[in-house]
Amino acid sequence: MKPLDIPTFQPRLKVLNREQALVIHAAALEILEKTGFKMEHSGALEMLSDAGCRVSDGDWVRLPAYLAEEALSSAPRQIALYDQQGNKTMPLRDGNSFYGTGSDATFTLDMETGQRRRTVLRDAANFARLVDGLENIAFAMSMANPEDVPVEDIYVRVFAEMIRNTNKPMVFIADSGKDIARIYEIACLVAGGEAEFQRKPFILNYSEPISPLRFPANVVEKLIFCAEKKIPICFPSGTNAGGGAPVTLAGAMALGIAENLVGLVVHQLAGKGSPFLFGPNVSVLDMKSTVVSYGCPEWSLTQAALADMRDEIYGLPTWAYAGASDAKVMDAQAGAEAMFSIVTAMLSRSNLIHDVAFLEFGSTSSLEMLTMANELIAMSRFFTTGIPVNEETLALEAIERVAGGGPGSMFLMDDHTFEHFEQAQFLPKLLDRSRYDSWEEAGAMDLYKRCNIEAKRILAEHQVAPKSEEVLHEIERILQG
Amino acid sequence: MSDFKALAEAVTKGDIKTAVAETQKALDSGSNVQDILDNGLIATMDEVGERFSKGLIFVPQMLRSARTMQECMKLLQPLFQESDVTSKGKVLIGTVKGDLHDIGKNLVSMMMEGAGFTITDLGVDVAPEKFVQKVQEVEPDIVGMSALLSTTMPSMPLTIEALQKAEIRDKVKIMIGGAPVTEKYAQEIKADSYASDAGSAVTKAKELLGIRG
Repeated sequence: MKPLDIPTFQPRLKVLNREQALVIHAAALEILEKTGFKMEHSGALEMLSDAGCRVSDGDWVRLPAYLAEEALSSAPRQIALYDQQGNKTMPLRDGNSFYGTGSDATFTLDMETGQRRRTVLRDAANFARLVDGLENIAFAMSMANPEDVPVEDIYVRVFAEMIRNTNKPMVFIADSGKDIARIYEIACLVAGGEAEFQRKPFILNYSEPISPLRFPANVVEKLIFCAEKKIPICFPSGTNAGGGAPVTLAGAMALGIAENLVGLVVHQLAGKGSPFLFGPNVSVLDMKSTVVSYGCPEWSLTQAALADMRDEIYGLPTWAYAGASDAKVMDAQAGAEAMFSIVTAMLSRSNLIHDVAFLEFGSTSSLEMLTMANELIAMSRFFTTGIPVNEETLALEAIERVAGGGPGSMFLMDDHTFEHFEQAQFLPKLLDRSRYDSWEEAGAMDLYKRCNIEAKRILAEHQVAPKSEEVLHEIERILQG
Repeated sequence: MSDFKALAEAVTKGDIKTAVAETQKALDSGSNVQDILDNGLIATMDEVGERFSKGLIFVPQMLRSARTMQECMKLLQPLFQESDVTSKGKVLIGTVKGDLHDIGKNLVSMMMEGAGFTITDLGVDVAPEKFVQKVQEVEPDIVGMSALLSTTMPSMPLTIEALQKAEIRDKVKIMIGGAPVTEKYAQEIKADSYASDAGSAVTKAKELLGIRG
């Protein structure tokens, strides 16, 4: 008999139809042609003008649609991010989803006291090390905006600290063209030279213009630097519905995409074919607290919509968020909100998904939250893999053996179970399924406590393959200089 | 004191047309400008602010009321000088040098105006020298500074320093706010007050100037 060979359907979330996607895209182009935008970088202004944009009032630019379409067609359809040892660990294409942390938290939940306190450089190190040790966290961001570092050096110092503590790919922040050049110098050192870095890039820059439609010089400076050096970049503005953008999600998306397209056009003019990760941040401004929500359903909805637009129109890998919360502590709200965004981001096939382990709408980071999210991502991955249907998984022979096997015969004893249970089931490590008495005996710990212990264990035991003495020495020299 | 029930209701609902008509009616019937301002508009906005703080209404509703009040103020303002109207205090506000993010600052301005303060908004990316110049010109009671980025926060102490050098630091109270700003930071740079959001900015401003309620 010919073995069954049925492809496995993998659950996929769609939230926009093709017509909706095309109309939002058209609206974005209309914003650029009719409304225009404020470009405060003189070099970019000149490039745009030379390329066919109309410039008025000094720095107000109107961009014809064909320029956006041209940029969309010259940007690469896939971005491969490597780890720091040269392995291609993050092929950003198709429906691949990769999760990582966020940047610049002002506070962190202290692992020893449980209290919220200002972040320090040591926190960036701890988060990078924990990311390195968690199998489902693919890349690192700083999770700290340290108070014990001179402000002008924050991003370089944080970057160096992360380099010392992880070998995974990194998404980094810089302030301007000055510190990004130093960061790039460090990255090239680690890669073994500029050519090596460009062949196997392991960093991606995060820069953002200001909604609505304002492009500050220092932000565009970084965009052009990345385009010229072929450093992958994302350029998501905060077109949060009701804040930087209209309160209705379609308009907020159109505005965010318009701003992203401006970035893409400048980027492709400065470095045709350089890698650009597409997508704005479209969350909501909370109508009571005026904070930008990190636990709302809207953000998950708009990034799912963006993934649909990628498939229908853009073809460029997308930028997304998940695993964060507005809760102040890692409580039930934090778990619910984190899981909601993690599973929907994966189901909608967002590509690079950041902000995992943020609490308090991105103001506070938590090592425990990151440890929990690692397991929630595994749970989502299991779900998204679907149900393989074949001879082995239908297990008709096992059914016959057990059902016809007489007294004492059971599936738990059958070879089929022994051979398959590790793939057939999701086996949680931190989510507790123990019986009440054993749970009580083990200390009656809630998930926060269990994550705290696990995070401490990983930080104590996990070995990060060190950089060479020479590289470390050179990094130190760059930091001093 | 006149009865401003209809005016109060219109401001609360954010019904600009009715509120402006009611303000005109009050003026026509000879009500005192200070009375309309204090007991018609500011008292209503205090209540709106209170309802907002309790989470009973949302930001757009509160802002619509504030805008309604602004429209009514346009009728009153020309009469201020002749009738010697007093405001709760003068506030000079702006985002600090290097920072172009202004949603938070705009919210604070609107709420303070609603509470009866007179606002001079310097906009975004305001250099220390500009703060100094404007303080000398406007003579405000309070200077409000906002920063969204940790990289622009150092412009706050620089501005305070510039005010010191110009020997006008002690003539004003300094309030700061913005995402990365903390109470501790306010103490470090010797600002007089820190507010975590627009609502508490009003409360803190009143405290600084010793205004009750």
